[in-house]
Amino acid sequence: MTITLKNIRKAFKTNTVLEDVSLSVATGETLVLFGPSGAGKTVLLRLIAGVIEPDGGEIHVNGQNMAGVEPEDRGIGMAFQNFALFPHMDAFANIAAPLTARHQSKAVMKDTVEKVARLLKIDHVLHHKPKELSNGQKQRTALARALSAAPSILLLDDPLRNVDAKLRFEMRLELPRLLKDQNATVIYVTQDYKEAMALGHRIAVMNGHGIQQIGTPQDIYLSPANTDIARLFGDPVINLLDVVPERRDGRVAALISDTAIPLLEDYVPQIGQACILGLRPEALRFVPEGTPGAIPVEVEAETPLNEKTVTLALTLRGREIMVSRPAGTPGPTSGRAHIAVDAASAMLFDRASGRRIAPVHKIIRKEEVA
Amino acid sequence: MTTAATDQPRRRRFRVSRRVLPYLLSLPALLTCIGILIPFLTAVIYSLQRYRLSQPWARQFNWGENYLNFFTDPAFWNTLKVSVTYAFLTVTVELLLGLGIALLLQKRNRTNNFISIMLLMPLMTAPALAALMWKLMTNPGFGILSYFATLLGIQDFNWASDPQTAMLTVVIVDVWVYTPFIMILLLAGLRSLPPQPFEAAALDGVPRWFVFWRITLPMLTPFLLTATLFRVIESIQQFDIIYAMTQGGPGDTLTVFQVEAYLNFFQSTNVGRSAALLMILWAITYVLSNIFIKNWLRLREKQRGNA
Amino acid sequence: METTSPVERLLRGIAITLVCLFFMFPIVWIVLMSFQTNETILRVPPSVIFAPTLENYTALITGKLETAAGTLDIDFMGNLWNSLFLSTASVAVGLVLGVPAAYAFARLKFRGSEDIAFTLLSFRFAPPLLVLLPLTIYFQQLGLANTYGGLIWVYQLIVLPLILWIVRGYFEDIPADIEYAYRIAGHDFWSTFRRIALPLAGPGIAAAGLLSFIFAWNNFVFALVLASADKQPVTVGALAFVTASGIQYGQVAAGIVLSIAPTFALALYAQRYLVEGLSLGAVKG
Repeated sequence: MTITLKNIRKAFKTNTVLEDVSLSVATGETLVLFGPSGAGKTVLLRLIAGVIEPDGGEIHVNGQNMAGVEPEDRGIGMAFQNFALFPHMDAFANIAAPLTARHQSKAVMKDTVEKVARLLKIDHVLHHKPKELSNGQKQRTALARALSAAPSILLLDDPLRNVDAKLRFEMRLELPRLLKDQNATVIYVTQDYKEAMALGHRIAVMNGHGIQQIGTPQDIYLSPANTDIARLFGDPVINLLDVVPERRDGRVAALISDTAIPLLEDYVPQIGQACILGLRPEALRFVPEGTPGAIPVEVEAETPLNEKTVTLALTLRGREIMVSRPAGTPGPTSGRAHIAVDAASAMLFDRASGRRIAPVHKIIRKEEVA
Repeated sequence: MTTAATDQPRRRRFRVSRRVLPYLLSLPALLTCIGILIPFLTAVIYSLQRYRLSQPWARQFNWGENYLNFFTDPAFWNTLKVSVTYAFLTVTVELLLGLGIALLLQKRNRTNNFISIMLLMPLMTAPALAALMWKLMTNPGFGILSYFATLLGIQDFNWASDPQTAMLTVVIVDVWVYTPFIMILLLAGLRSLPPQPFEAAALDGVPRWFVFWRITLPMLTPFLLTATLFRVIESIQQFDIIYAMTQGGPGDTLTVFQVEAYLNFFQSTNVGRSAALLMILWAITYVLSNIFIKNWLRLREKQRGNA
Repeated sequence: METTSPVERLLRGIAITLVCLFFMFPIVWIVLMSFQTNETILRVPPSVIFAPTLENYTALITGKLETAAGTLDIDFMGNLWNSLFLSTASVAVGLVLGVPAAYAFARLKFRGSEDIAFTLLSFRFAPPLLVLLPLTIYFQQLGLANTYGGLIWVYQLIVLPLILWIVRGYFEDIPADIEYAYRIAGHDFWSTFRRIALPLAGPGIAAAGLLSFIFAWNNFVFALVLASADKQPVTVGALAFVTASGIQYGQVAAGIVLSIAPTFALALYAQRYLVEGLSLGAVKG
């Protein structure tokens, strides 16, 4: 089942939520809608589910226009962020709801529900009401309900949002396998970039009434369309430094701590223009003094995280810069140090618009995708 | 995983379009009420006619004459005076008493909850029956209250049958019935107030009268306003208690709007005057109820937000 | 606020006692009267010591009043039945009409929905006689005068706004996602309304029903204007009862007790919802 959205518009009263959103999802693909809250992700899912209607534009499922098709006729499975379990029905009845609608026999229904429940490890609580379930069990029940009729389209609205960190971690590992087995076309909403990267074949980044970038997780991580997206992906957050590229030794370079960082491609038009240089903390490493191209910095503080150590340093101009290295590897803890930049991973953005200038070869604009 | 028949075309039933649905759902209720709007319009027409049931042949439009006559009609001014006096007295007493009782019962405990439920009983009594109860108690022959009056040294205290005390008597009955209404609304209001300002004031040793005037009362205002307006609207229209107690008497002592209109219609069969009286009452309550609904909505939003 | 002096506690105690006395005394006194004969009622000074009798109640139930002038037939049981029937039927009709409308107002915001909802609410505040007096004439023409049907229709004036606004609040409290989830699972609008919205708003619907029953039962003016003796509920019937000749006061008291007992019982049962009902759904208790 393919899903295609064409120029979708939606406003609530005078409050525009979606403006000219176009998108297509291929059969069997998992597309992640990623973005901050209020970006319209949930609204988009509801439009596809048919519980609200767009003000303009078209929604096609498998080539069929969905205008006027009631939600119950769209054959969609959906899990809600707040679970939306039916409080007066037990877990079994909740999971069976899509099956009762399809007039299945008692025996088939029992079989199917138990199978899904076993898969999601909630077969022991099937006769509990939602209020007797733990958050994790509620979440699994909601997921089971979405899956039970084996819909060919699955809409998952941030299903891991309201569960604790441990369960979220487990589910992040389990979900890809589960979704793969379903062989469904999936649209998955999340605000967690790790979840987005772990689950999505492609990620659509939503911000400010629309989709700003669509691409594979790799694409978006390595060549974000703008500084906002660059900031949303990655932990610790990307270093964004104001620079003005200039010509050095015949190449276009940016200066940090009075040290020239050569940019991979020659951007003559950007010379003398206000730009932002984006450096991922993991693309930086400490090097001994005297290494060619090493940038001198002042180490301020060190924060050990589980699998990595993040060092906060100041450039000679007093700008903050973060360096990440695998935990257990040696690094300076204070005083003067030097860092080297992997020029291939450096990104350049236009300072006024925030748009990416380099690297150029991976630019995928949304028009091309749609 | 499962072999659910998702792709089969499902049984199509009669469907109503989304645009029509809400109207379809609310239409029966609306039609019922439109049926009620028609008599309202008729009343407007009656009020512009000379119309006596006893002289149907003389029925004709006299336009504003019914209304104009009111200016020089002492009976009308009496009606207005009696209605306003009644509303003012009842609501004032009920408000003060209701607030006092609510403050007394504010703390949630078993005794207070029990008392507040018991106090609701007068409100659950039909006002007409309440009037009857008080009539039995104020009977000059055997009424217990008349007996109490003699004990206090007041001979021949005739309650509702004496023009001097008729108003007092019906006001007491109204207060008996409706004070619990104000009490229970204010009690709900008091109990829904956030505790922090009171805790802070108690910590700082702020005197209690100050807390009452500066914290309790302002925070209670939406409830006070809603309860007061609600009661004023009902009180200025009071019919049941007064009619059941004295039928507007003795004389014209208690001929409030609705009682006067009722008597005009059924006794003097003066439909035109009766309708005009009711139109004036309607105009008064319309203004009040618009103010009330605005307040009521704000309170509703706030309470739902809290819930 | 927790420090109360003994003097204050005493004053509070006295105040509460006085309040209870004022509000409870009439009910207690009427109940006492209902178990007395005219002789003990007419004693001066009155006394609470008497030999209780059930005579008044048996007279009401059998419909035979023994008076000095002879036996008088009085159909108080008929009044009670009218009250019961009119209130029950009005509430039933009100629920059938009001609950779907409440759902429409709560969920499917449509053009003019708020205006209509407010118009319905404002009926609650209009002088009832304004509508009733012209209706007497219309009812004569339509053949609805002195019929249960006509009365039940007019009773909607008090029943409908109450049901509409209380139930609407309950529908609004159901998260829309729950209904969406059921729709998406494959159920159409009607079965979602029946299996999700109605059960979840159930307590509210029950409360609105009970409260509107109480209001319908206590109504006086509708039946006074539109009903003759055979269709009159207790509120109107009791009044006629008093003016009957050679009245036995104990029987009037017994009549009152029988008339107010049902609403008291319902009020006790529904007390959790009373605040909400009395404020037309604005305040939750």
